[in-house]
Amino acid sequence: MTNEASSTVVTEVACPFCGLACDDLSVDTAGEALAVVGGGCAKAQAGFARLGVSHDGASARVGGQPASLEVACAEVARRVKASAQPVFAGMALDVSGMREVMELADAAGGVVDHLYSEIGWRSTRVVQDVGYVTTTLAEVKNRADLIVLVGTDVVSKASRFFERYVWNDEAMFEPAPAARRIVYLGGGLNTAAGQSPDGRAPEVFDFDRARMPEALSTLNALLAKQPVSEAAPLGIELARWQALADALRAAKYSVLVWIAGDFEPSQVDLNINAIMSAVRTLNVSTRSNGLGLGGADGELNASMVHAWQTGYPMRTSFASGIPLYDPVHNGTARLVEQGETDTVVWISALNDKTPPPPEAKVVIAPPTLKLEHEPEVFIPVSTPGVHHVGHFFRGDKGAALPLRALRATRLPSAAKVAAAITAQLKEVSA
Amino acid sequence: MSVIKLTGGRVIDPANGINDQVRDIYVKDGRIVAALADGDKVSAEYNVSGRVVMSGAIDMHTHIGGGKVNIAREMLPEDHRGDPVARTEITRSSCGYCAPGTLAAGYRYAEMGYTSCFEPAIIPMNARQAHMEMGDTPIIDTGGYAMLGSDDFLLRMLVANEDQKSINDYVAWILHSTQTLGIKVVNPGGISAFKFNQRKLDLDEQNAYYGVTPRRIIQTLTRAVHELGVPHPLHVHASNLGVAGNVDTTLATMEAAEGRPIHMTHIQFHSYGTEGDRKFSSGAARIAEAINRHKNVSADVGQVLFGQTVTASGDNMSQYRNAAFASPKKSAVMDIEMEAGCGVVPFKYKDQNFVNALQWAIGLEIFLMVDDPWRIFLTTDHPNGAPFTTYPHLIKLLTDRSFRNAMLDTINPDAKAMSNLAALEREYSLYEIAIMTRAAPARILGLTDRGHLAPGAAADIVVYTENADRERMFEKPDLVFKDGELVVRDGKVVKVVRGNTHVVKPEFDRGIEKKIEPYFRRFHSVRMNNFKISDDELCECGGGSKLIPHACGKRS
Ligand code: SF4
Ligand SMILES: [Zn+2]
Ligand SMILES: [Zn+2]
Repeated sequence: MTNEASSTVVTEVACPFCGLACDDLSVDTAGEALAVVGGGCAKAQAGFARLGVSHDGASARVGGQPASLEVACAEVARRVKASAQPVFAGMALDVSGMREVMELADAAGGVVDHLYSEIGWRSTRVVQDVGYVTTTLAEVKNRADLIVLVGTDVVSKASRFFERYVWNDEAMFEPAPAARRIVYLGGGLNTAAGQSPDGRAPEVFDFDRARMPEALSTLNALLAKQPVSEAAPLGIELARWQALADALRAAKYSVLVWIAGDFEPSQVDLNINAIMSAVRTLNVSTRSNGLGLGGADGELNASMVHAWQTGYPMRTSFASGIPLYDPVHNGTARLVEQGETDTVVWISALNDKTPPPPEAKVVIAPPTLKLEHEPEVFIPVSTPGVHHVGHFFRGDKGAALPLRALRATRLPSAAKVAAAITAQLKEVSA
Repeated sequence: MSVIKLTGGRVIDPANGINDQVRDIYVKDGRIVAALADGDKVSAEYNVSGRVVMSGAIDMHTHIGGGKVNIAREMLPEDHRGDPVARTEITRSSCGYCAPGTLAAGYRYAEMGYTSCFEPAIIPMNARQAHMEMGDTPIIDTGGYAMLGSDDFLLRMLVANEDQKSINDYVAWILHSTQTLGIKVVNPGGISAFKFNQRKLDLDEQNAYYGVTPRRIIQTLTRAVHELGVPHPLHVHASNLGVAGNVDTTLATMEAAEGRPIHMTHIQFHSYGTEGDRKFSSGAARIAEAINRHKNVSADVGQVLFGQTVTASGDNMSQYRNAAFASPKKSAVMDIEMEAGCGVVPFKYKDQNFVNALQWAIGLEIFLMVDDPWRIFLTTDHPNGAPFTTYPHLIKLLTDRSFRNAMLDTINPDAKAMSNLAALEREYSLYEIAIMTRAAPARILGLTDRGHLAPGAAADIVVYTENADRERMFEKPDLVFKDGELVVRDGKVVKVVRGNTHVVKPEFDRGIEKKIEPYFRRFHSVRMNNFKISDDELCECGGGSKLIPHACGKRS
């Protein structure tokens, strides 16, 4: 860090491009675009390069024609006001962006729905049904002796998981990181990262991941010392399942990792429930924890802020003046399909790749977002952690990281746009 | 410039020894002033003659922000359905009874005359979230206590026999980095022990890995907090939460402070004996006697009131055990970031259940047997004993013996027989209620400009119409002023303002970062510089809250 103060490289930058929120990046700010020169991964490099420009010349549009920010916000306010129940979707935002959208959604009598809510509400249902026993990344880094990856390789979504939290140089407690035992449950995964630094291959239970409920019930039966009649559940001989159950029982701090988005959507709560059942059985005699990773595209920024302000998770309708939670009813796709909303407002400052649904008449996003149709209103915004400071919740719920401002732009933040729309909305009402 | 006059009220201001004197109060630009200067024009006058005037109430221990509270919210949609807060022209919609949204919590606290609330269990790594949630809690001032004692950094320092000065530097660094007002220890060393699969940890029992005892942690941290001159004593959630017979641990924990200031929190949950057929009895008399004798000890009660609630604690060792009693049957337990943990367990206290009924009686016994209202604080440990909205009911129990005894007659008869509550004649006066809900919390937290009504104080002022039914009186003040702004009229929010954040910034040697920085790089999940919350960042987390630092008088 000594002579970097005078250089153009900013160190210890937190990355907002997946749920790991790695905070060890070095970013060079000298060029046209931001360049990750230390830490990071391909996704981070691409994200900072693509979004880390000043977006000169980007302008708001109404009906495809350039418009001032004020006019565009007023037009959104008018549409939102006229709608019985506008839906605010996308929500790839930092904490302050989400805070402002919440105020807007309440004033507008709308619904807020993150792009991953279709999976997210099923995960949340587990805590509403049975709860959980979980841990966080720093604990994994120092304590985990047996890591079971349930239906996920993690790295396809969060590439530095093993680098940062498993194969570390050192850990505070036994065993040494290189001695950690890695087990993958499910086939078709990228298991390369699970190989230990000294070349030990991970164990893989290779089966069709759509059959995860069967796999977990086999494991749960063995953990509960109940008989399993099949000789080879899912084509894997029983002795291997038994050895896994024994290893979990013998482990001092096992961790069962999942990413809800890697499960079949219809199995999300079933599988997490089954993982929790295993963890609870194990904790009678030893320590074992779940670790749900997610949080990409500000998923937790959205879900956390929504819960703390209103009490409810997302997919709550504010149309009646009080919050009404119904995650099955209040999904964007269903509301559109059933004609229960005529106005979808897509707001996404962190994600410029996921296309908004065709029904989105208003799109508030980085100018780099490729649009298949010209929306009726488009407002370009800056990106947290790139153009402006902000906060980002890591996918394990263990920390909220501060995001930096690395590149100047004239574009407003999503928070500022949402606040401007709310202000206009209140004027329209007054 | 705004000048307000409150005319003819009956002022109860224990910090200044004023007990029910008729006085006019002047407020200029958010502060109380002795008199108007030449040329000052009163912009609003309120005739409050005959009405009771107190400073804004202060809740010194209430779980209003941070990870575990938010888990409770997500876990309990069934809690929220019956308690919506509707959107109005000036307020936003929200909901929740025992785990309300921050918006609902802020409005309701203000509507009960509370103007400052303190979150007692901030996990240092999660301080940002706590400040964000508190920043989204409207109207009231906030602040919090950082949790230490099961963090591996401190335990390693103890193993390495680092000197007290280095420990003090670390503690001060935590206070600065997390922007907090005090230090709390939760089941000292026990959260760490649980990660090593220990299921209980007595005061003199060793952590299986570190060999450190809870007693040593209490000794070290009470000393650190004292020497740094942090006004609030070490805030202690003692070992053996909720366990029959824990009264002995609690008394020994008081002794472990070796005469230094120590605050024992939710002491009701730590005042259980093992007498009687069911091996569960009241330790209240011994606890009260010890508090009366040890002037260095203060406590908040953590009163249990009957009904559905949710318990949310940093004490994952105890909460894992308590999960067996969850109602409804669900619970969340977490190990967190080599620093701490948490446990969220919904719970229903039933008046016909022997244990619950006795818990209720034990809390009241402690309130009534501790002589000095400056050292015993009115809390339910929201939401652990009951939601904070039950405070007016609790005040009625303390101020009205016949009401209390009528309630006592309805609880589980075996519990009633085990309690001496019926024999306790004490009824708290309004003056004593003002001490325990205003003057004393301000004093024990070092909030020199809150909790009283002398010139210079912030104009956090509450006006009540006196009512012999104290529950009615306290649940709906006539007027509440926050920093001189009228925010509540007739128990309803009329204006939404943003509260301040209270912190302490003790002096310390920044050289300690040379030890902390590599520790973060080697073992933590974030870099040290991303852990620290700067003043500017705090204001952003707090949504624009003003930072109020309070003085520390260094003692070493
Ligand atoms: S793993 Fe995720 S958070 Fe880490 S650098 Fe890559 S994209 Fe960023
Ligand atoms: Zn506690
Ligand atoms: Zn508490």
